Amino acid sequence: MDLGSLLTSTLTDTLEVSLPLFRVELALSATIVLVLLCRMLPVLRWLDSALVALGGVAFALWYAWSDLRGLPGSPWPAVVAATHPASQELFGGLLIFDSLTAYIRFLLAGFLVLYILFTKISGIPDREDGADFYTLVLGSSLGMCLMASANHLLMIFMAVEMASVPSYALAGMLKGRKASSEAALKYAVYGAGAAGVMLYGISLLAGVLGTCHLPSMAAELGRIVGDGADSFYVADSAGPIMVLTLGGLMMAVGLAFKLSAVPFHFWCPDVFEGAAAEVGAFLSVASKAAAVALAVRVAFGLGWLGDAADASAAGLADVRHFLVYLIGLMAAVTCTLGNLGAYGQTNMKRLLAYSTIAHAGYLLLGVAAAVAMLGVDPEGCRKAVTALAFYLGTYLFMNLGAFAIVAVLRNRLRSEEIAAYAGLVRSNPGMVVAAGAVLVSLVGLPPLAGFVSKFLIFSSLVEAITKGIERPLMLVLLVIGGLNTVISLFYYLRVLKVMTFDPPPEDRVAAPAPVWLPGALVTAVVVPVVLLGIFWSGLYAYAQLAGTFAS
Amino acid sequence: MSALPMIAGALIAAPLPVAAINWHSLFFLLFASVSCGFAVAVVAADNVVRMAFYLVLSLGATAGLFFLAGAEFLGAMQLMIYVGGTLVLLVFGVMLTAQAPLVAIKGSGRDRVLAGIVGVALLALLLQAAFSVKPWRAPAAGVVAEPAATPIGMSLVGVRVDEPAVGAPAANKRPGYMLPFEIVSIHLLVVLVGAAYLARAKRRKVPRAIEVAASVEPPASVAEHASIGRERHRSGSVLAGGRP
Repeated sequence: MDLGSLLTSTLTDTLEVSLPLFRVELALSATIVLVLLCRMLPVLRWLDSALVALGGVAFALWYAWSDLRGLPGSPWPAVVAATHPASQELFGGLLIFDSLTAYIRFLLAGFLVLYILFTKISGIPDREDGADFYTLVLGSSLGMCLMASANHLLMIFMAVEMASVPSYALAGMLKGRKASSEAALKYAVYGAGAAGVMLYGISLLAGVLGTCHLPSMAAELGRIVGDGADSFYVADSAGPIMVLTLGGLMMAVGLAFKLSAVPFHFWCPDVFEGAAAEVGAFLSVASKAAAVALAVRVAFGLGWLGDAADASAAGLADVRHFLVYLIGLMAAVTCTLGNLGAYGQTNMKRLLAYSTIAHAGYLLLGVAAAVAMLGVDPEGCRKAVTALAFYLGTYLFMNLGAFAIVAVLRNRLRSEEIAAYAGLVRSNPGMVVAAGAVLVSLVGLPPLAGFVSKFLIFSSLVEAITKGIERPLMLVLLVIGGLNTVISLFYYLRVLKVMTFDPPPEDRVAAPAPVWLPGALVTAVVVPVVLLGIFWSGLYAYAQLAGTFAS
Repeated sequence: MSALPMIAGALIAAPLPVAAINWHSLFFLLFASVSCGFAVAVVAADNVVRMAFYLVLSLGATAGLFFLAGAEFLGAMQLMIYVGGTLVLLVFGVMLTAQAPLVAIKGSGRDRVLAGIVGVALLALLLQAAFSVKPWRAPAAGVVAEPAATPIGMSLVGVRVDEPAVGAPAANKRPGYMLPFEIVSIHLLVVLVGAAYLARAKRRKVPRAIEVAASVEPPASVAEHASIGRERHRSGSVLAGGRP
């Protein structure tokens, strides 16, 4: 092959295949540059950064929507002709575009639109900080889009870093507040450590397998594990398999950090408490969605090679077995410690941080179920991924709603302590109703959206049990998940009890704050929480579409 | 008088000891021991300026290891980015800001013991892992240092002109690195903006809501609730793992 034809093939791959499916990221990048340019040029300085960012993100949302609609079998409201294949590797295999990518990107872009409106209304950042804040948010979201579509270890690491590093600065956004600086420093040090461990794991995996491209790695992994021994745990072949296990575990550290899964959750409460509620909303919703997508990507990418049954298939079954136990154990511990840690919290943001950790556990339960049924029961596996996608969709509204309420109440009451919310029902009944809907939905009680998504996750565990796939583990996970739902009831409802039954403090200093705009914001975010609990077929149809990615 | 030419003759005739030395192994041992020794010194030192200086030496010796392995580009990058970066950090970050209370960093004895146990355990694990893979134990047959910059430069614009490595999986996809190369520039832009934001002095006249919240004393009843809650929190903090 001469240089000319190499160049031509690269050009064709980039311009005709990759870039048309990369428009969301391009729109985000262009928006970042535009936000900064508008600050630089005196002519454009009157333009509010939030508006520029909102315009750019609207473009990204439109592109994400048309990518999702262009997939074969895009279901709702009406079936349209597919404009691109169901699965397409981009940039020579660095990224992959499929229904999961399209769904997560759409969620992220939709979240960004709501989020920018939310920050505009809640007043953090102010106009002066707007350009910096939105640049950081958009840069981080760009990394999250890449996390959802990474197909190569290099891109996995880069995407995780791109999503994390701007968040460190975001956590320290309230300059001059000690708690905020402490949050940023803790987050940065912890993140750097996790990234270092993850990079070491990646280097071990790449060193043994000789490649960084996930499907090629899976083929090599299946060959080594299948050749070397009957199972993972035979002492004779301790060589590469021990190194692969170590590499996998070290890589899991980085992913668990992004997911805030126990035992790598320590940063989460401190960062959420120290940073503004707006930043907490971003970290708990967008970062979580991307991290779950990446965990699914890595587990599916390393554990399955499609239907081709050859020598590597048996080896990959062992890999999946290992992954299911790793993810399942982490899910059980994360759920339980997250929920128990939430007890006795007096700060609302800290409580929501533990709630975020617990929800990461529930999501990991779904990932474990999906990986368990991967390759064994394609239908069940698809349903498990559907449950995950649906959960992420509803979680967006639940947690954005929760943090919006915290931010609005902070502006009104000048406090984020739960005790300060006492007797709020007398002065702000609407806000208490909204908080009630969000918190009850976070518990997972009918008829709210949280119930449907939790039900879907648990039913995929049940499906694995009835089909006898990893039965003991799945049974344990189901019991732990159920118990945790009961545990979580108490601390969410305690907040509602304080809001309704406790007498309001006599010396409350309620700031005169405008009512209708924050009220409209909270309503706009909370109404979907109620509606999705009843009319969930639209979102479910798209979640099902996302679930088809593995087949 | 005849002894002198004889000694000279013997010296010339004898195989030169210099030729017998395996220079590759010698330099490897030299760079490796400098790298590891000063890495330990970074941990053991108490003074920030010394730590930074030891780090420069350790990273520089690592660059030497890369040169020995035939990865010249990587070695040059190591020198430029890590050694250069640490030097800048040493000059600006440490020497300009290090005031008397901040120069010495001393961990408590308990911390040192704990860190030592964790570090040694991890080292043992990684050493065992590294030596347990057969292909990694045998020396690579004849490392040939090729001029590596051209293939790297081409792959950064998306074209892979290098041959696949010997023993690489057959189905291996070898993408060019145009996307990471380009996307990391956006990332660097964003991170620079973030760093500038954090480093910038405040120009604010009107305090924000949250700052008022921090400065205003909470009402007495709230403070009382909070103190009760804090007690409860403390009892739960073993699980929470966070700040009491």
